[in-house]
Amino acid sequence: MKMTVRDEEVRALIARQAADWFVAHRDGSLGASERQAFDEWLLASPVHVEEYLGVALIAQALPTAADDPEIPLEAILERAGTVDEADVRLLGANILEPHAIPERTPVRNRWQFAVAAVLALGIGGFLWWNADHPAPQRYATGHGEQKTWRLTDNSVLHLNTDTAVTVRYRPAERLIEIDRGQAFFEVAHEPTRRFRVVAGATNIVAVGTQFDVYRDRVSTVVTVVEGQVSVASDSTPRRELHVNAGGQVHVIAGTLPDNATPVDAQRRTSWLRRQIAFDQEPLAAVAAEFNRYGAVPIEIETPSLNTLVISGVFAADDTETFLAFLRTLDDVTVETTATRIRVFRHSMVPGERVETR
Amino acid sequence: MADGKNALVERLFAAHRGALQAFFDRRVRQRSDATDLAQEVYLRMLRLKDMSAIRDLEAYLYSVASNLAKEHAAAGRRRGISVSVEEATIQDQLAQAPSFEGEILTAQQVKRLRAVLRGLPPKCHAAVVLQYVHGQSHQQIAQHLHVSPRMVKQYVGQALAHCRRRMARWG
Repeated sequence: MKMTVRDEEVRALIARQAADWFVAHRDGSLGASERQAFDEWLLASPVHVEEYLGVALIAQALPTAADDPEIPLEAILERAGTVDEADVRLLGANILEPHAIPERTPVRNRWQFAVAAVLALGIGGFLWWNADHPAPQRYATGHGEQKTWRLTDNSVLHLNTDTAVTVRYRPAERLIEIDRGQAFFEVAHEPTRRFRVVAGATNIVAVGTQFDVYRDRVSTVVTVVEGQVSVASDSTPRRELHVNAGGQVHVIAGTLPDNATPVDAQRRTSWLRRQIAFDQEPLAAVAAEFNRYGAVPIEIETPSLNTLVISGVFAADDTETFLAFLRTLDDVTVETTATRIRVFRHSMVPGERVETR
Repeated sequence: MADGKNALVERLFAAHRGALQAFFDRRVRQRSDATDLAQEVYLRMLRLKDMSAIRDLEAYLYSVASNLAKEHAAAGRRRGISVSVEEATIQDQLAQAPSFEGEILTAQQVKRLRAVLRGLPPKCHAAVVLQYVHGQSHQQIAQHLHVSPRMVKQYVGQALAHCRRRMARWG
């Protein structure tokens, strides 16, 4: 199997994610939600599995390989202590010339060093030493949060709740990686630099357009609002699916469908207006959608209610209105406490009745 | 508690390391091998009906990968021409301890890995040596290098990813 330069770039990104997860695991500091994020990352692609195992094997070999008889520890520490400035890469230089050979001579000029340090702090102290990979920029939102940024190329990035993306600028492309969640892109047209989005094994390339990408545990959903994008999956690298405005593609476990399906793109991207829109959707799906935003989860306790069909447009952060709507339904009880919202049918009320509002 | 869990994962990984290493080493002869293994591991993990029953997916990953690597090695031996019963038994024993051939490959790879490590940026290199050779914690390394523990993790992550890709490209 021959790898192209682009394949190798993607591989290098994945290897880095794998290595970061590996380090976090050995560190023993993973919380429940990070653990879940790891599970999702690992199950997103067989390439992730391969890189993770590869990194684990490198780590196994390091106690022997890193014990280098020709370089004493003192020499390594001295080198590490005396070339601080050389480790700080100038962010601007990287964007303009990402393939330049790294300049290894220490920056002597104090002022230059100060500028470099400030730039480094500006990207969250994240230093990127490998000139093949310019400084990535990370954007993220918390639970229930939505944010919008204008990127340096003038494209606009909207992030929905619980989302993390990494943006990299290269001479030939703007590369956006969706680590998790949902993002909407308004792409600034640039004839010489394509706009590429990677969500796990799914690759989306666009030129001057508007589209939405939602990455969850094993699937990625691409919805095009304006223009055209091409969608490809790592598992079928030779095939590309061209999706026009109003089209949607579900890539499930890396498998590309035969065709795009027509959808109401405005409704799919209603989150941009902080709205959630439903057209004949089961209550279970509606509750799950609200739970992407709300602090208190909605729990449907009566199984038969899960399939109850609902239509309507709600404000994403206004769970109360939705609950009020549910209370108008015959036979449905909504019970709210500080930590949970229970929805059930009267007939199924558990033995100990709690006050209902 | 985290230490106990980590120790378990380390033991699990160490116990199956031979089979896994052999599998990845075969890349030299057959590049798609490691990819095939990863694909199969991936599919088996996806087939899990109840993900919530797996408390530690990392440990599960290692055990699935190791078992598959061993299965694959066994299948490879069965396919081999003129392997007598005796030889097969010896092979089985060799699979437990590093085989002669395995040792040559490993020594070569260690040499290459050493060369890759020498080319790392100084702080990256120092962090790796302090952690993997001198067994220091991220906190201790941070003090040595006058950086935050978070930065140390970045260095180690960069180093692992870089070494992994360089070794994979060499095959």
